[in-house]
Amino acid sequence: MKLALLILEDERPVREALRRDLASFARHVRIEEAEDVPTALEVIEEIDTAGDRLALVMVDHRLPGTSGVDFLIGLADDDRTAAARKVLVTGQADQEDTIRAINEAGLDRYVAKPWQADALCDMVRDQLTAFVVAAGVDPLPHLAVLDAERALSIVRERGDL
Amino acid sequence: MTEMGHRMGEDGRGRGHRMDDLFVLVVAPEPLAATIAEETARGLIGIADVACAADVVEAAALVTAHPERVVPLVLITAFAESPESTDARIALLDAQAVLSRASVLLLTDRALHDDLSLSVDRDRLHAVMTSPWSPGILAWHARAQTVRWLSSHRPADPRTRALVAADGRPVTQPESDLLRLLELDTHEVTTQLLAGIERVLGPRPRLLLPAGTRLIHEGIDVDAVLVVLRGRVALDHASAAGDLRLHHDSTGSVVGLLSLAQQQRAFFTARATTEVEVVHLSFEQLDRALAVEASLGAAMAAVSIRALAKRLRRADQLQVEKTQLNHALERERRQLSEALHQLEQARLDLVEQARYATLGEMAAGIAHELNNPVAAMLRATTYVGEDLERVLASHPQGRLASEIFAAERDRAPRSTREERAARRRLEAALGDVGLAQRLFDAGIEDPDRARTLAADPPSLDLVEAVAGIGSAVRNLELASRRMCELVTSLRAYARPKGEPVAGIDLHAGLEDTLRLMAHRLRDVEIERNYGDLPRIRCHPGELEQLWTNLLVNACDALGEGADGRGRIALITDAPDAAHVRVQIRDNGRGIDPQVLPRVFEPRFTTKQGAVRYGLGLGLAIARRIVDAHGGKIELNSRPGCTRVTVTLPVAGPPDEEDIET
Repeated sequence: MKLALLILEDERPVREALRRDLASFARHVRIEEAEDVPTALEVIEEIDTAGDRLALVMVDHRLPGTSGVDFLIGLADDDRTAAARKVLVTGQADQEDTIRAINEAGLDRYVAKPWQADALCDMVRDQLTAFVVAAGVDPLPHLAVLDAERALSIVRERGDL
Repeated sequence: MTEMGHRMGEDGRGRGHRMDDLFVLVVAPEPLAATIAEETARGLIGIADVACAADVVEAAALVTAHPERVVPLVLITAFAESPESTDARIALLDAQAVLSRASVLLLTDRALHDDLSLSVDRDRLHAVMTSPWSPGILAWHARAQTVRWLSSHRPADPRTRALVAADGRPVTQPESDLLRLLELDTHEVTTQLLAGIERVLGPRPRLLLPAGTRLIHEGIDVDAVLVVLRGRVALDHASAAGDLRLHHDSTGSVVGLLSLAQQQRAFFTARATTEVEVVHLSFEQLDRALAVEASLGAAMAAVSIRALAKRLRRADQLQVEKTQLNHALERERRQLSEALHQLEQARLDLVEQARYATLGEMAAGIAHELNNPVAAMLRATTYVGEDLERVLASHPQGRLASEIFAAERDRAPRSTREERAARRRLEAALGDVGLAQRLFDAGIEDPDRARTLAADPPSLDLVEAVAGIGSAVRNLELASRRMCELVTSLRAYARPKGEPVAGIDLHAGLEDTLRLMAHRLRDVEIERNYGDLPRIRCHPGELEQLWTNLLVNACDALGEGADGRGRIALITDAPDAAHVRVQIRDNGRGIDPQVLPRVFEPRFTTKQGAVRYGLGLGLAIARRIVDAHGGKIELNSRPGCTRVTVTLPVAGPPDEEDIET
């Protein structure tokens, strides 16, 4: 089982930049990209079929035909994806949309464009760890992409892992 | 049922007048009815006959049986033992049309009636008499009521003419002095009053006063009256708003009487408006005359009542006028308030427009400032790309590096779905997901080549690095080009003006624009319907900007429309010798009717978190260009058909037209 990270972003240069900044995770985490919501849903289906777990979704707010917030709200209602950490990566989302994302989709982080590569990696590591802790996933196979100290503390707390 | 009385003589009918039989109806139980009828008949000799009915039901039957009879008066008794209320009985009588027009005389032995409210309210009670009554009074009453009825209902009847004077008053004079005097006209009463006064005081001198003479003075004690025999007097009152003329037609004939009566200072100034002839009477003279000649009291009272009644009527009239005026004022106030509201709205609209204009100007200013750095950046990106190619060529593995760099830099966009599928194929071929991802990210999709590179780590590192540079250069170029486009469209807002050029072929300009926009119009069906156009004088560059903006707009509308293939039609014609017309139609989703009135305003929209310049600014620039050419632009839109029509003068822009912001 691999942890999966989904990038939903309609602009190719931005996708490529995100992918490149997250290249250090690529060896251990399944990184998937989608340019629109239908593709994102296909990807989620594939991840599920392959037996992997969707751990983190990074969504642009502005998408063709819909908003990232609406997509996130949809994820929060889906058993397969409810546990995934949800991050909005956006140039500009107004206050109303952001409030909706927090209240209805359980938004975990808001990343403003342009982002800093280091901060982005720290954020992803932090969110993946939070996912592992919350979902009760055995952290050992994924330690390379986690905050090791935090992840191992659960191993110590729980005898069954 | 008894009938009594006397019929009219044959001579009455012979004159050819319509002489209906008049019957006064007595509704009373026997034997009282007979007594009443007999006495009543005595008062009606030569006018009407009398018929009796024991109760209201019988009365109704009687008039139904004799439809030719006309009833001027119903005498109805209301004695204590009557089971039904008097109102109900009168209402039953009124069910008969002929009786509903008759006057009603109620004969009662009760000290108090609480059953007459309906009859009074409906004006169905004309006289009330007490039973028992003094002999003769019933005959007198019945006659007076019948005469009154005749004068108002049958003015042309010969019987009426015999009883009623030409002015409508009964021939018989009232017995009391006061009522008799009140029946006279004002001048006559005044003459009688003066005659009485002169009987006591001896002849009084007449005073002749010219128009404008003040007879009494506002605010000064009144100690004399003036009897006006001829001429007219107005009563004015000084107020904050100037002199108010309160009475003119309604001035009485004895000026000063009311103030004298109240022992007060005059409320008015009385002023002659024509030459007047008056008699001056001091308070003492008047007092003496009234004391000596008692009959003068009635004349004074009649004069006063007359004056009061006139003034009261005038006051009532003023009250009505005041109410109407208030209504009119209220209406005007509402209209004013509505106008004010509209003005305020217009002001807000203006402020809004000014705000947009300021924003637009600011954007244009920023665009100016950004223009150089953006241009430099675009050029620098190109140079970096070119120089890198040369540097890479000098690498020991120059061919591989240049090939990978160029491939990655020029890689055509694919959907994420296609990319995922390609990656899966590579994963399947290599059997190593991590390695496949690395190679795929470096642009390697061919499994054989992938295997070769995988076995040669230094080359793989080079390929990854060069691919990274390639995609970075591509993205740099893309980003700076986009910024360039944005800056260009913002700059169009403040584009400096050149001299218009004559002899321009509009179709050529349209075709140029279509060629330049080919990349955006790839999936759009373009339909041309060009008419014969004269060559025109214009700013050709501006017009290309215009067509570009309109086409971009049409494209955007198509882009988000889901139904079928996008189609843009270009239609040109010359509506008259002096104008050319270009229509651009698209079958896109149409423009929101709420937005439609404002599409030509320059503005920024924040929609779904993104600041967009597209619709607002593009059309605002289009409008500016068309205006500067002295032309006209119109936009109609419904879902599936949006049509922009541009009409331009063949002669080109007006000479001193300034296109700058």
